Amino acid sequence: MSATPGLYLSSTGSYPRIGDSPELQALRRTITALDRGDRTTADLLDVQNEVTRQVIAEQVKAGLDVITDGLIRWYDPISHLAGKLDNIQIKGLVRFFDTNTYFRQPVFVGRPVKRGHLVAGEYGFARNALGHLPTPQGKAGKLGIKPVLTGPYTLAKFSLGENSGNGRSESFSTVEARAQAYAEILATELEALSKVGAELIQLDEPAAIKYPQDWEIFEAALAPLVQARDKIIKSGQKLELALYVYFHDCAPLYEKLVALPVDIVGLDFTYSPKLVDIVASKGSPKTLGLGLVDGRNTRLEDPALLAREIERMLPKIKTGSAFLGISSGLEYLPRDRAFAKLELLSKVRAALRGSPR
Amino acid sequence: MSRQKLEKLGLELPLFPTTSVGSFPKPDYLVKARAEFSKKQISENELHDLERKATAFWIEEQEKLGIDVLVDGEMYRGDMVAYFAERLPGFATSGLVRSYGNRYYHKPVISGEVRWQGPLTVDWWKYAQSLTKKPVKGMLTGAYTIMDWSFNEFYPDRRTAALAIAKVIRQEVEALIAAGCKMIQIDEPALSVRPEELPIALEAMDFTTKGQNAYFLTHACYGEFEYIYPSMLELAVDNFDLEMSNSDLDLLELFRRHPFTKDISFGVVDVHSHQTDSPEVVGQRIEQALTIIPKENVWVDPDCGLKTRTVEEALEKLRVCVTAAKSFRNH
Repeated sequence: MSATPGLYLSSTGSYPRIGDSPELQALRRTITALDRGDRTTADLLDVQNEVTRQVIAEQVKAGLDVITDGLIRWYDPISHLAGKLDNIQIKGLVRFFDTNTYFRQPVFVGRPVKRGHLVAGEYGFARNALGHLPTPQGKAGKLGIKPVLTGPYTLAKFSLGENSGNGRSESFSTVEARAQAYAEILATELEALSKVGAELIQLDEPAAIKYPQDWEIFEAALAPLVQARDKIIKSGQKLELALYVYFHDCAPLYEKLVALPVDIVGLDFTYSPKLVDIVASKGSPKTLGLGLVDGRNTRLEDPALLAREIERMLPKIKTGSAFLGISSGLEYLPRDRAFAKLELLSKVRAALRGSPR
Repeated sequence: MSRQKLEKLGLELPLFPTTSVGSFPKPDYLVKARAEFSKKQISENELHDLERKATAFWIEEQEKLGIDVLVDGEMYRGDMVAYFAERLPGFATSGLVRSYGNRYYHKPVISGEVRWQGPLTVDWWKYAQSLTKKPVKGMLTGAYTIMDWSFNEFYPDRRTAALAIAKVIRQEVEALIAAGCKMIQIDEPALSVRPEELPIALEAMDFTTKGQNAYFLTHACYGEFEYIYPSMLELAVDNFDLEMSNSDLDLLELFRRHPFTKDISFGVVDVHSHQTDSPEVVGQRIEQALTIIPKENVWVDPDCGLKTRTVEEALEKLRVCVTAAKSFRNH
């Protein structure tokens, strides 16, 4: 998709699971009832499917070009993936960056082993759900859906390691060892996702910019995923890897980020007052995700102001294309405001002079 | 230094003063009453009476346990930020946002100029203090945390918002002092979440407490303190109340590298566990503290607020703190 020059509107990942009206609280009610033993996991799956359909429809309604499934089934960005692996135990709650939300921390008790797909099944469902929606005017063949994976370094940084207790001498007490173990597993997930039709995969690595002292570990953990992508492309499939970073100032690492062997680099502009100037002056050799709309605050930005910033940056992006989006997932906002933020993306594109659509 | 300040304020405390972080579990009758009040099944007065009854219960229990510096237990509060936001002009309430799992809450929104119209906590402090001769801490949330845990639709940036809230919290501090309060805890659990914004938190606290005649404490938890230590010692308070035992006393390593220069309320009991460590284990933690921090500066309390525990669990955790602290006074 990014091969065709233009400004695409894209989701960045999560979407609020519930809203304020009773009909938008089905998921919350079902989980409560499940905890009480009044509903079954099959009931929960039905509701998750329905909410996923709703959030896909909302993103399409907002005029986006690239959407996600809203990560409706994810407990959090760490345990949703790590919890599907053998030899990893999910423990207590830890704060997720500066969000005042929490994730459940994985602990390695041996080499992690994949029991099944991590998100390929969920992605298959979402593609199918999108396929059942009427295609909006002018979007035929232009509407895409991408799966999201938390990257190996971020997973590793927020996991703990214990020496293997199963007779092997492996230790996962270092971030490096855990990151490599996660990377090997995620590389196989890329293949699974490609098989169910994914052509663009978002890899979230927010920890990479918060802990730059681990850059080499992060880069080394990215390598197996890049190799997996290259192998998939060699086999004749299309696949682009989009690396997204957020929740910290990425400006000091900008040049290193755009030099990484990925196809798209998604940036959070809300922590970096100088980032627009940096992109406008240094340019980018590859397609950028422009996280200009704040996913953490309810205030709605001025579309004209953002349009002017894009006009400064877009001509400096070598591929001529960019994904305008939210600075992070939208689950930190109330549902109505999350939708308003998505609608804002279309207003920003409409406010561009010369309209590079 | 801080001992002298306490004496000047007329506060005579033993070595290893015991206290607690702020919140206690609400008795079942109060939990039920709050639910009924939210459904408009009971009046505000009826709820208020039960909140007073629960406050009196906790003051009495703290007295019985022999705690030195008491808290009111926050029987009248739900959330530590929402309590203030719901009572201050300039704040509105957002739609539901997720905290974790299946928990959602209405996050405050700064939608206009934040103003102080009158005391928010003073009546509760006066009531709690009237029930005991021991000092009761005034309990506030710091401006930086209130800003960080709110959406901001009004102020141009985070610093401006934090300083505007600091102005309001300062007025509440003044009101507490005017009512006779001599120890005020201003919690900043968000202190370490954005290390690059520590200067904002420092500036806001400085504005809040500067020139005010009281002994100030602050509680911070769940943080990556390695990124803000030792700069965080510049926070304009006398006492840092820190979650120590939950992190296996990791912070002591930082204190070894750079001296801890304030009083510390040393969290010696994990509040997330149903079990309570023995007085011996808790005593070992205090021993560890004393390898780094002079005994005159060490207070003893649980890691964090106890509101998520049962009443019995909370009492047991407090009892162990008191037992361990007393055993050190005769050393």
